[in-house]
Amino acid sequence: MKNRWMYLLFGCFLLPAHFATSTTAVHAQPKSPSYNRDIRPILSGKCFKCHGPDSETREADFRLDRRESAIDADVIVPGKPVESWILDVVSSDDPDLRMPPKGDPLSSEEIALLRDWIKNGAKYEAHWAYQTPNLAKRPKVRNQQWPTSELDYYILNRLERANLKPAPKAEPAVLLRRLYLDLIGLPPSLEAVTAFEADPSPKKFKAHVERLLQSPRFGEKWATGWLDLARYADSNGYQHDDLRNMWPYRDWVVNALNDDMPFDQFTVEQLAGDLLPDPTHSQLIATGFNRNVPTNFSGGSKVPEVRADVLHDRVATTGAVWLGLTMECAQCHDHKFDDISQREYYQLYAYFNKAIPEFTQQGEGMFRKHFTGRDVVVYSSDAEQKKAQKLEEEIALEEKLIANLKALVGGDAIQSDFEDVVLLDFEGPDPFKNNTITRPAINSIEEDVPIDGGKFAAKTVAKPVTETKGFFGTGFSLPANDLSGSTEIRLWIKTDIASPFNLQIHNEGRRASVFEFSTMDTDPGKWTQIIAPLADFKKPQWSTGAVDWTRIRKFQITAFGNGPYDGKYIMLDNVAGATSSERALRLKQVAALREQLASLQVAAMTMQDDESPAETRIFKRGNYATLGVSVETGVLESLHPLDPEAPPNRLGLAKWLVDNNNPLTPRVVVNRIWGEIYGRGIVTTMEDFGMQGALPTHPDLLDWLAIRFVQDAWSLKSLIRTIVLSSTYQQSSSATEEKLEKDPQNEWYARGPRFRLPAELVRDNLLAVSGLLSEKMGGPVVYPVQPDGIWEEIPGADVNDYPTSTGEDRYRRGIYTVWRRGNPYPSMINFDVPNRSVCTVQRDRSNSPLQALTLLNDPVYVEMAEEFATVMKSWEGSDRDKVIRGFRVATARQPKEHEVEILMKLLEAQVSWFAVAQTLLNLDETITKS
Amino acid sequence: MREPEKRINLIKRRDFLKQGTLGIGSLALSQLLSRELRASNQQSRKSFLHHPPRAKNVIFLHMVGGPSQMDTFDPKPALDKWDGQALPEELTRGQKFAFITPEARVIKSPYDFKPRGQSGVVMSELFPHLATVADELTVIRSMRTNEINHGSGELFLHTGHGRMGRPTFGAWTSYGLGTENENLPAYVVLKDGLPVSGAPIWSSGFLSSRHQGVEFRKGKTPIHFLDNPEGVSTQERRAVIDAINGLNGQAHQYYRDPEIATRISQYELAYRMQTSVPDLVDINSEPEHVLKQYGLRDAQGAESGSDFARNCLLARRLVEDGVRFVQVFAKGWDHHANIYSALPNSVRKVDQACAGLISDLKQRGLLDDTLVIWGGEFGRTPMVQEHSAGTGELTAPGRDHHKECFTIWMAGGGVKGGLTYGTTDEFGFGIVENEVHVHDFHATCLHLLGIDHEKLTYRHQGRDYRLTDVHGKVVHDIIA
Repeated sequence: MKNRWMYLLFGCFLLPAHFATSTTAVHAQPKSPSYNRDIRPILSGKCFKCHGPDSETREADFRLDRRESAIDADVIVPGKPVESWILDVVSSDDPDLRMPPKGDPLSSEEIALLRDWIKNGAKYEAHWAYQTPNLAKRPKVRNQQWPTSELDYYILNRLERANLKPAPKAEPAVLLRRLYLDLIGLPPSLEAVTAFEADPSPKKFKAHVERLLQSPRFGEKWATGWLDLARYADSNGYQHDDLRNMWPYRDWVVNALNDDMPFDQFTVEQLAGDLLPDPTHSQLIATGFNRNVPTNFSGGSKVPEVRADVLHDRVATTGAVWLGLTMECAQCHDHKFDDISQREYYQLYAYFNKAIPEFTQQGEGMFRKHFTGRDVVVYSSDAEQKKAQKLEEEIALEEKLIANLKALVGGDAIQSDFEDVVLLDFEGPDPFKNNTITRPAINSIEEDVPIDGGKFAAKTVAKPVTETKGFFGTGFSLPANDLSGSTEIRLWIKTDIASPFNLQIHNEGRRASVFEFSTMDTDPGKWTQIIAPLADFKKPQWSTGAVDWTRIRKFQITAFGNGPYDGKYIMLDNVAGATSSERALRLKQVAALREQLASLQVAAMTMQDDESPAETRIFKRGNYATLGVSVETGVLESLHPLDPEAPPNRLGLAKWLVDNNNPLTPRVVVNRIWGEIYGRGIVTTMEDFGMQGALPTHPDLLDWLAIRFVQDAWSLKSLIRTIVLSSTYQQSSSATEEKLEKDPQNEWYARGPRFRLPAELVRDNLLAVSGLLSEKMGGPVVYPVQPDGIWEEIPGADVNDYPTSTGEDRYRRGIYTVWRRGNPYPSMINFDVPNRSVCTVQRDRSNSPLQALTLLNDPVYVEMAEEFATVMKSWEGSDRDKVIRGFRVATARQPKEHEVEILMKLLEAQVSWFAVAQTLLNLDETITKS
Repeated sequence: MREPEKRINLIKRRDFLKQGTLGIGSLALSQLLSRELRASNQQSRKSFLHHPPRAKNVIFLHMVGGPSQMDTFDPKPALDKWDGQALPEELTRGQKFAFITPEARVIKSPYDFKPRGQSGVVMSELFPHLATVADELTVIRSMRTNEINHGSGELFLHTGHGRMGRPTFGAWTSYGLGTENENLPAYVVLKDGLPVSGAPIWSSGFLSSRHQGVEFRKGKTPIHFLDNPEGVSTQERRAVIDAINGLNGQAHQYYRDPEIATRISQYELAYRMQTSVPDLVDINSEPEHVLKQYGLRDAQGAESGSDFARNCLLARRLVEDGVRFVQVFAKGWDHHANIYSALPNSVRKVDQACAGLISDLKQRGLLDDTLVIWGGEFGRTPMVQEHSAGTGELTAPGRDHHKECFTIWMAGGGVKGGLTYGTTDEFGFGIVENEVHVHDFHATCLHLLGIDHEKLTYRHQGRDYRLTDVHGKVVHDIIA
């Protein structure tokens, strides 16, 4: 207490009035309260909910976020606190009168601030973050020796005013390790460390910076944070949590970061790459950003509902990633704190509502929805791409041969084989019982089918009460039948349902294969023959495995659409399969080749707009089923205007977001990069730059960085270079008692950053230290060892086996580990990875016993310790030399004598290099950026 | 009898930090809490604790899939009359169904219902054991939710929101009340199968990950990575931890980073957990009469009972040792098809265990402090489902998902015993009286825990989030 009080005194005497913009508890109180700093937080927290931007919930018809309105209502009378009604109600003792009516009343300090502010004229200020960044004069500092970069002046000026001194420069080994972990997420080699210790000059440091910025590892490290924002994962989430192919998008991010793609272009390609003129393959893949949204394909969820969820997510993510604003509130009503009306929300929604339907419930397995949006074909590696090319050539050749055959035979003549014919009788109560009637087939089936129903009629009148919506169909069983020698199944159909149909082939249990056809174009009065090549049958998602063509137990015909139906006729002919012709054999061959090709191809999900997009209407109270007025695309009025030439689509939106006049995007981005390096943002609420967010600790620095970022052509690498070359960055992270007391959170940067590595880097770093790390980049996800049985439990999933990787794929960087939203990788969970179900701006950083158990006992980390032990043993020199070297590989720095003693004692007592290796891999310093 | 004090060396973390040789206890703790303090800077941290709690712990038994209310606790004799007919159209108009159409015909329940106990709480013949503790139950027949599919329904029941990303009831409880035993997680998850949403329904969402549910798995290694690697002795492990903590102590002297002190204590705790947790989950140390109570031993003393029964007993042991919130999932309640052969099996797996849990808690004096909740994410339709959702094939009769009303029950923890609350219409389709929406359910449970649901907030993305969103009213009628 004493210290804090002393500190406040310092603040009052030493600091100019405009200093106290910090959000810490220890900020000094200047004379005249400022609206942004002192008043708005009070009004926003206690009053705006009922007297703010939301017109629906506004009470007493005035708003306190607008000066004129407050004055009109006599709530505030500038210069005259006594006449200002607000002061009466906030300080009233009468519970019926007192404002706010619910929650804690204003404190006496808050009331005093309000009074002072009104006395001084009740001046309002626009919210700081909505104002254009302003380049302040370079702040004055006393210690001219310390700054090496412009940004140091901003930091030092603040430190000097707080009477704090910067920490000494970090020792070279620690500094170099910090730099490596920040830039590439991997530790420096011991050779690099010792060389830098020999010459730790700024020139050498800068050379390391440049080399690391060019390293392909750079993109792998910096992608992680972006993938949190992009809610990147490899599964849909929700029921089944089925896997999807999103990794091409992940590789796009890694490559774009490695190429230092300017952030404005980085934005445009991800939000609207498909709308660029003649988009490249890569620009299409970039739009995977918005296909990352989790998608609820649970049985029973409704397509329009899922679509609304997906689009809401896209609006929310855009707001959080680029504007640092929370849009979600405005789904149901005008935002209560920020200037975002419900109408504006749906204008933004309209940009995304132009996309084509991206999933459907049509087709095989009505139970589940399926993605239908535009896919782009990619290959897992160059080798696979070459293989695919070869296959494509072979297919082309086969098709040419088939075309020639057709010309010779003269058309697609159909031979009737006088085999068994099956008629389906839908008329009885149980179609299963009476549906296996066979008789010799004849060429003209039509002649033999009575028109008014009867013995062989396959007719049913669907009773609306009993039929399940969306399904109509039946099946019939037959003794195990071997169709493996056949190439196609033929059936005759006569029906008045214009509908998609499934022909399902069932084995025992739930193994099935499905051929889809449609009666949309058939003549309702006529028998039509359908030919179903065996090669065109597909395994539906609900089937538990590929069908075994040697043991067919049941056929089933299913129509789907919206009933009720009346009078259906279906007849099957030649279900036992047709004889093989050369043409059929070749077709089968082509199908096999196509299957091989398909197995090499990965479909990357991308965005595509509809040529005639759906109208966007406001959802009343946020409910997708109750539609309000229609809105066009548009942006937030309180920010910079939209270029009138901008197209009314995502491309226009993307360009607006990275318009040089946007006050938010550059600030939000530089703050996030700063946060990744220092562990906290200049605006500590990195996810909220709105009215409820924290004020920047160093507003001028934030603006300087933002302006410079735009001037440097939105280069992230330049920004990172600027930060790491500063003296601020290069300080030792060792804290003094004084600093811990005055600035426990290191909010003023009087020492270097120190915090535990994120989950992926804990893995990467220890893989590198132990010597196991694979440098293989990109491609499909990998499956490092995880505890048994986790995926097996997922009910009804398409994939229940966890295909543990072999070879070097076991030792890839964490960014390549498969990310299944509902069933994430356990050791990463213990180190605070989010579940990537929504855009995550800031990860938690916990410190738990589960982390200790993971590093000590997870077979993955045990294997690393074993490897490290083997490596240490193999080194030359005494045990002591090996221990010292091991310590240095793990932490970079030279151990102190006492530290060596601890390790030597352990080695002697346990006679185990494994114990030494485990110890080194578990050190706080080893998993921490110091 | 077990002696938890002996079995778990209860060094409270705060004490450890205070007594620690490093002398930085208070700082380390402030660091631990800093994120939350930052978030709640607008309110004093405990302002939501405004009345004395009735319950200290929660055991939430979730019947995954959604039990049929009209076959269990909400008898509907009118269905006999309506059997085979469609419901009146005005009832079904505008309603969402997962797989059936509004015209699907009604199907009656084949079960016999009787009042049980002194209080006459009604349940079907499927629950002979639960009937013996009927006077402890508060049956709520008028529950209602917003979601009709499992993924969203589970999320809604646990987080008050039908999409992923929010903290669960258990996480909010941990956030609000903290833990009673620093040596165990505040929030433990037990399951006999995976609910369809997976980990997001025990997630801490935007709260600190310290509040996420920790899964105790079946088998000898209840927590992932609890066992030493093969060939590593306890003595070697101790030596390694001593070395790690010795070196971390050195680092702490240099960096003075409170996180290092915390890490030292976490390694000690991890070491203790390696022996305390396996002991804790070893239910064989329970006396035979207790095992029998849960159906885990048959009359001859042979092993029997379901994984769920084992989890119920484990839940009691966890609560006894100070775990705040135990979430138990029971699989197999999604009876789309063949309900009348499947439902009795599902009930059989839980009936005796639920009754055993309640009477065991009561005998130990724990029931007053422990809120036991039983229920699913939604109910089932009075109408029949006759087609497989996957293939459209005809199936034996079942019932579809239903969100307009469903039944749960609670026991202990300050709720009235022997009470039936809320009324549904003659079909069991909609609520007639005393609706308890999931938000109200959450508000009431938090109230029982001594928490004002409107004040338990967390500032995230500029918004003060609550478990009950902007809804929820406490159902005082069911509180004793």
